Amino acid sequence: MGNRLDGKVAVVTGAGRGVGRGVALLLAEEGAKVVVNDLGCEVDGTGASHDPADAVVAEIQARGGQAVANYDDVALMDGGENVIKQANDTYGRLDALVNSAGITRDRMIYQMSPSDWDKVVRNNTKSVFTTSKFAAILFRQQRSGRIVNMTSDAGLGDMGRSAFAAASEGIIGVTRTVGRDLGRYGVTCNAISPMVETRLSPGTVEEHRVAAAPGPSRDERAGIGESPALGEWEGAGWPDDPENVAPLAVYLCTDASPNVNCTVFGVRGGSIFLYSHPAVERSVLKWGNFNMEEMDVLIPKMLGDGF
Amino acid sequence: MGNRMEGRVVIVTGAGRGIGAEVAKWMAADGASVVVNDLGGAVDGEGDDQSPAEQTVQAIRGAGGTAVANFDSVAEYETAGRIVQTAIDNYGRLDAVCHVAGILRDRMVFNMTEAEWDAVLQVHLYGAFNMVRHAVPHMIRQQYGRIVLFSSGSGLGSSGQTNYSAAKEGMVGFARSLAKDLASHGITVNAVYPGGATRMTATVPQSTRDLRGSTQVPQAPVMQAQGAPIQGPPEASDPANNAPKTVYLCTEAAGNITGQVVGVSGWQVTLYGPRHVTKSIHKNGRWTLDELDQLIPISLANGLTNPVPPAAPR
Repeated sequence: MGNRLDGKVAVVTGAGRGVGRGVALLLAEEGAKVVVNDLGCEVDGTGASHDPADAVVAEIQARGGQAVANYDDVALMDGGENVIKQANDTYGRLDALVNSAGITRDRMIYQMSPSDWDKVVRNNTKSVFTTSKFAAILFRQQRSGRIVNMTSDAGLGDMGRSAFAAASEGIIGVTRTVGRDLGRYGVTCNAISPMVETRLSPGTVEEHRVAAAPGPSRDERAGIGESPALGEWEGAGWPDDPENVAPLAVYLCTDASPNVNCTVFGVRGGSIFLYSHPAVERSVLKWGNFNMEEMDVLIPKMLGDGF
Repeated sequence: MGNRMEGRVVIVTGAGRGIGAEVAKWMAADGASVVVNDLGGAVDGEGDDQSPAEQTVQAIRGAGGTAVANFDSVAEYETAGRIVQTAIDNYGRLDAVCHVAGILRDRMVFNMTEAEWDAVLQVHLYGAFNMVRHAVPHMIRQQYGRIVLFSSGSGLGSSGQTNYSAAKEGMVGFARSLAKDLASHGITVNAVYPGGATRMTATVPQSTRDLRGSTQVPQAPVMQAQGAPIQGPPEASDPANNAPKTVYLCTEAAGNITGQVVGVSGWQVTLYGPRHVTKSIHKNGRWTLDELDQLIPISLANGLTNPVPPAAPR
């Protein structure tokens, strides 16, 4: 057992499975007391169960760590408030918040219902706000804190999951702003895009998978090329294991690297990626407003006509 | 009058004032029949008023163009459907949707209320879904469409705008993904970063004034709160500057431009690249915390600057 987070308290949402579970386990292994939150719903957000959260709490305790379960729906303001309050009530403080709760309802846009849209945006993006708001109140008072938000690269251009793409990129918008709202109080807020195999992985819209989907893939947009594995996987887990995200997430929950704020990372297997923010690639300027004749010529000529 | 948009039908939401009104006018000037949609609310979304949309329609008709007003809200699925139906009822088709409608409810995250989160998400991001979802069946039938979603540089980080950043960057993710879903149907989808001197930047809501008055709110290094920093004299802040680029993205000629983020404010037109990987570390196994403690500071975190470092208590 490590001791980087001895005496510290963490909340992990969506900690009953997948990435969240891996983070909760490693936080506890480093000495943190963990509130393991999970609504225990299906991947589409329906239903609820205590089992996932209870199982992870049991696992932590079996390994000698401290944890308590919370079953609130953090898409609701009450849920966000309760989970933060439980950390404070049970363990007397809060030092780190990891937002990992998420669902998906993969649909082509023309098959997506308003409730599909709402459920995904609410469960994935609003759930980052509800917990962060209440954690921020505590963090601001104590002038310290860490927030890590799980997002995805769907917003770089995944087909068949535009709600998930919107929600994921929305989480990144929240991350960049919350880090700015709280930076002066010694708090950092960062995001990780886990590229691992969990129940959220794309692939359910089989009938709409076009062999050659138009345009660049999300990896191409992200600037990650094709490459063979470095070699045989060594040690615990396997390349697509969601537990591979935990080391970076826990690192971002420690006091290390206070200069890392409002930053987006990616994790795939043994690779950790640092993302830039969107930036100007090409620009055309003039003295005065453009007219349409200029647009006809300049946009294809200077910005491109084959994106 | 130009003819790039002749025979085309366009909906512009939030077209009663500011940038939306200019986009609507320029669309009409290039031959489009325009549905001028505006609820007519205040910058914080409260209230409603038919006169802004009607004024834009009068301006278009006065210049010899074709337009009709609509006062429905983009924020509800049903009422957004009525906006789309207005286009079909009046003009028989729908070629382009520019979703400009937007409000502000600025608040630091530790003070932000649920109502402030919901209102901003509903108008901007849910409004985008609502408009797109109703428009797309018509566009698919036509095998032609142009969708421009108004995002904002605030998605790159803007203190006091957790709700706005979520909605505006969410808009970008939505546009990139929609572009994939719809490319095979001749429909392009792009997001734009607008900007200019409008009531959204000039008459800031009370919550924003409270915010800026009481704290030194650090702004994102690239973008100010509601859009690109406008370089040049005051004329460069004219909301009309957003129009030619937006109209171009809706023309037939722009059929190959999709899934992009384009800066359309001021005297520039700018292509933004997506966030992408600039540094990486690799091993063929799971990282340990001992390894990360040593490696991250000299690799991934090396050179990173905290945009808002810790400050002494006031």
